[in-house]
Formats: sequence, C-alpha cells, structure tokens
Amino acid sequence: MMTDAPGADTRPTAPPEFSAAAIAAMDDVYRFARSLTRDPSDAEDVVQDAYLRAFRSWHTFQPGTDIRRWLFTIARNVFLRSRERGQREVTLDDEQSAVADAAQAQEAWVRGGLDPILDRTDLGPAISAALAQLPESFRAVVVLVDLEDQPYEAAAEVLGIPVGTVRSRLFRGRKLLQHSLAQHARDAGLLPARPSGSPA
Amino acid sequence: MTPDHAKPTTGAEVDCKAALESLFEFLDGELDGSLEERLKAHVHECRPCFERADFERRFLAAVQAARTEERCPKALRERVLSTLRAEGLGA
Ligand SMILES: [Zn+2]
Repeated sequence: MMTDAPGADTRPTAPPEFSAAAIAAMDDVYRFARSLTRDPSDAEDVVQDAYLRAFRSWHTFQPGTDIRRWLFTIARNVFLRSRERGQREVTLDDEQSAVADAAQAQEAWVRGGLDPILDRTDLGPAISAALAQLPESFRAVVVLVDLEDQPYEAAAEVLGIPVGTVRSRLFRGRKLLQHSLAQHARDAGLLPARPSGSPA
Repeated sequence: MTPDHAKPTTGAEVDCKAALESLFEFLDGELDGSLEERLKAHVHECRPCFERADFERRFLAAVQAARTEERCPKALRERVLSTLRAEGLGA
C-alpha cells in the first residue's frame, strides 16, 4: 500500500491519485489478465505493460468513473496487441458451447450435485480450478461479471463484444462452471454418502 | 436498455419459461424496473422457479467468494511498482 503519495507533485505523469486507486486494483487486473491468457507469465506481462500504459495515459482516465473498468480495457488492449505478434485469436469454441448446452440439459443432475456443497467455505479452490479450465471467451466474461462485479455493459465494452454476446457467454460460462464443479464434487467425494440428513 | 429477447408483453405476467430465460439477468440486477418487478413476483409465487433462483444465487455467491483465491503475486506487484517509480511515481 502506498500511503505516502506526494501531495506536492503536480506532474501529469505522476498523479498522486494513481498510487491509491490504480494500485489498489492490481489484484483485479491480475485476475482479469489471467482470464485472458492461460499462461501465468503472459498474464504478468499484460499487467506490467497495462500499468505502464495506464500510468502514462492517466490523463485519459475520467475521474468519478470506475477505474477498474478503465484498467481492464487497457489490459485487454495490451493483450490483443501481444496476441497479434503471436497466434490469432482462438475462435469461440463450438464444442464448448455444446457442452454448456448439454450442462443446461442436465440441469437436475448438476443442481443435485452442487446443491449440497454450495455453502461450503472450502469450495474456493475447486471453483478457482474450474474457472481456470473454462475456454477463454467464457472465462473473461465470467471473471468480469461474477468476480469483478462489472455490469454487462462494462464487460461488453472492455471485451469489445455486444451486450447480447456477454449475456450468452455468461450463461454458457456459468453452466460450464456448474457442470465441472458438480463433476468435481462427485469425483472428490464431497457429496455426502447418504442422500439425506445433511446438516442445516 | 431493455433486453431484446424473452421479454413478455408489457404488463403481462411472467411465465416459468420467461422467468428462467431472464433469471441470470434478474439476479445480476440487469433487468429494467417493470420486468424486474414482474419476474420477482413470479419467483416469489412459483416454487420451482424460486428454488432454481435460490440455487443460482447461491452458486453466484460461491463464485464471488472464490475471488480471493487468486491474487497478484508479490513479486509482480513489486516489479510494477518499481517500473512506475522509474516513471516518476511517488518521486
Ligand atoms: Zn415458475
């Protein structure tokens, strides 16, 4: 935490507010970067570069707006630019969409598997692991909306996709996540052996 | 900003199909006032939809709670800060 931001520094490239607001959001930007790229070191490069760009273009931030949204957008642009140098964007996975639709069709199975464990406090690692396995197009939307609490419209802007696409990817991403968690719960024996009598 | 799908006629009661189609938007607070009210009314009166909404709400809360599982590595934080200091941060 930066608690000693210099109040006398008026240079445009070194605004004292930057340290407080933007730096406090680094966990969020890192999580978002991880949702864009599977490789942790690529994500670190995205964060590093995004913060440098954000710092240099601080004047483009509109005070009073959500600074995380601004930082997510910069991170996304950095990611796209790095990708142009590498491989093309992976097209949205039809196969995964089919799995998501199947998960929806297996609603009763998924809900039955997840319901008894949803309130467990030790579910975090399993959710995190399931999230990491989501196809990236779904993952970025789920991370922005479900973890970072961004409105659909903000997620659409950050990712450069229509709001309707946010809506459908969110739906499918969540269903995929549920399916993989239910699978995990059964495989890991998290479900109670007896069908009833779980503690309230 | 109204969703352009699964939207019942204005004033009409929401049925189960429409409720389920808009459930996530409802839980995410993304519906406009009138549709939100009608959906809320349906969910409160319809047991299957209520249970489904309750499940999805708990699921979303669990996902939100998993947010703290992943944090920016300390070394990266230090690296970013030192880069920014070289740029004039806190100088
Ligand atoms: Zn219903």
